Amino acid sequence: MAWSLAETRMRIVCLEQGGWMNPADYPSTRTGWEQERFQGAFSLSPNGRGRREDYPINDSDSPIKISNFNAVGGSTILYAAHFPRLHPSDFRVKSLDGVADDWPIDYATLEPFYDLNARMMGVAGLAGDPAYPPKELPLPPVPLGKLGETLGRGFNHLGWHWWPSDSAIATEEYQGRAACINLGPCLTGCAQGAKGSTDVTYWPVAVREGVELRTHCRVREITVDDKGMASGAIYVDAEGNEHHQRAEMVIVACNGVGTPRLLLNSRSKLFPDGLANSSGLVGRNLMFHPYAMVTGLFDEPLEGYKGPTGCSIISQEFYETDRDRGFVRGYSAEMIRGMGPVSTALWGMSSSQLPWGQGHHAAYDALWDRTAGMVLICEDLPEPENRVTLDPDLVDSDGIPAPKIEYRLSENSLKMLDHAVARGSEALEAAGARQTWPEAPLPPAGWHLMGTARMGTDPGKSVVNSVGRAHDVKNLFVVDGSVFVTSGGVNPTNTLQAISLYVADHIKRNLETLFD
Amino acid sequence: MSENPLPEPIFSSLLDVLIPARSPSLPGAGSLGLAAYVEPRLGEGGSGVASGLGALDARANESHGADFPALAEQAQVELVKQVGAEHPGFVESLLFHLYTGYYEHPRVVEALGLESRPPFPKGYPLEAGDLGLLDSVRARSGLCREV
Repeated sequence: MAWSLAETRMRIVCLEQGGWMNPADYPSTRTGWEQERFQGAFSLSPNGRGRREDYPINDSDSPIKISNFNAVGGSTILYAAHFPRLHPSDFRVKSLDGVADDWPIDYATLEPFYDLNARMMGVAGLAGDPAYPPKELPLPPVPLGKLGETLGRGFNHLGWHWWPSDSAIATEEYQGRAACINLGPCLTGCAQGAKGSTDVTYWPVAVREGVELRTHCRVREITVDDKGMASGAIYVDAEGNEHHQRAEMVIVACNGVGTPRLLLNSRSKLFPDGLANSSGLVGRNLMFHPYAMVTGLFDEPLEGYKGPTGCSIISQEFYETDRDRGFVRGYSAEMIRGMGPVSTALWGMSSSQLPWGQGHHAAYDALWDRTAGMVLICEDLPEPENRVTLDPDLVDSDGIPAPKIEYRLSENSLKMLDHAVARGSEALEAAGARQTWPEAPLPPAGWHLMGTARMGTDPGKSVVNSVGRAHDVKNLFVVDGSVFVTSGGVNPTNTLQAISLYVADHIKRNLETLFD
Repeated sequence: MSENPLPEPIFSSLLDVLIPARSPSLPGAGSLGLAAYVEPRLGEGGSGVASGLGALDARANESHGADFPALAEQAQVELVKQVGAEHPGFVESLLFHLYTGYYEHPRVVEALGLESRPPFPKGYPLEAGDLGLLDSVRARSGLCREV
């Protein structure tokens, strides 16, 4: 958004609660790299990380826990860079399947912005995927490796769809980024700089174009004037000093938990229930993607510790609705690479496959480099009861009320998870797995945060309009996962970035009448 | 960490029981020095481990008239099972840190056939793979739902 708007020569100030990351500090530069994924400063949960930049989240009332990261680049620092688009059908869920709502925009609206985002993020992939409309990507796909080939043969045996994953990973040198060298631990930051986290893609260009980025600045609330227009933001800097930054236009991009938190914390006489919340929908309709995971054990080494963790191949055989399955909508199956030595041992311990004592080494050798994982990403339908509110007691280190999550898995999601586990196990067995272990739902998989400031044409049923502007506040925009109407069954980063570029394009084209 | 250091050599002997020698050239976890890795990471679990070690030594002397480290391997294993059953969590509280430290130890990593180094900066070669496997998938139609 800031990068796109920079060409207008407006003065743009971005307030980021985190700081710049130093790739030399990422765990893959150290011998203890594996354990740092599970504990410490690069673990997924903000509640256990201990970084000052993080705010606590009460997710005790949810079977799925929040995973995120707060820094320049946000959660893209730790994401897998798996980069699929939504399908055209995802924007027409109500029309096609009679559930949830249609989006006020469609695939064709976003397509040019998906293309632009692919060039900016440096997306690798292979043309010709029959599950999508034609698309061209700037970089060749991430290598299949032995593991990808093995699983691909399994899908072929079943006659199921699979394709190399679209990945925001520079498989060749690209726009100043070094090529991927298959380090493996993408989920604790990319020391090579090959992964497309936005601190190495959009931000450097935006700053060169004149965008002012203030780091370690935590926004407490968005202020409004007596006409109900947003007038700026009150924020706390790294020294704990409070400031009021005035603004002609305010754009919120804190994602599906941070955005409703900020809007609900922005109460005033004109907006006593929180900013942009006349519909009562700010914070409601929280969607994750309920994840299942199936781990398969093979007889042969798979070299699974090499290559981008989450980016190998994807199957969308069960993506679209088939009511004979007992649920509506569907899911993607994404292969993930195998485990390193420590992860193998810890997984063996947790799955009761690795005893201590005399049988330890034989059991370990049967596991080492012989596992492959599959995660199944189920579409989550919006339900108002699933929500983000403000915790009555919990606050962050600046005393700002923290978010609370209330979330239940729907019957549709539970049936879909059951189906996904069965089909995932079948696919791994077809590829040669002699044993499989399912886990569903996957508790730490609250990394896709959507729906809590949904987009729509009816101000009574949505928070922002079709161009991301709050129905209630004409100079307030939201551009993150919270505007999603439905979740689809794919990773959301590519779509939320495409939406940001689309909203920015609308702003640039309509500057003179933007607030009418 | 417990207030007092965990007693040696019994702690290292216990670690040798939990992960015994892998080969003649690769001794058990205790002999590799993993006690120094595990102990500071035990946190509040340290007191439970200290209590379990005390029970282990007392039981060794009662049953065998010798300290735990002096017993034969099979006798040590049986005692660890007994004391572990009587002190829930005694063994389990050690395993996370023991496995973590052991499987990042340079000699263990090399025994698995890997170089003992972090992934960066050298990385790994990875085969592109046979994209011809996709021919049958490429030929399919109807996967992209009509809207």
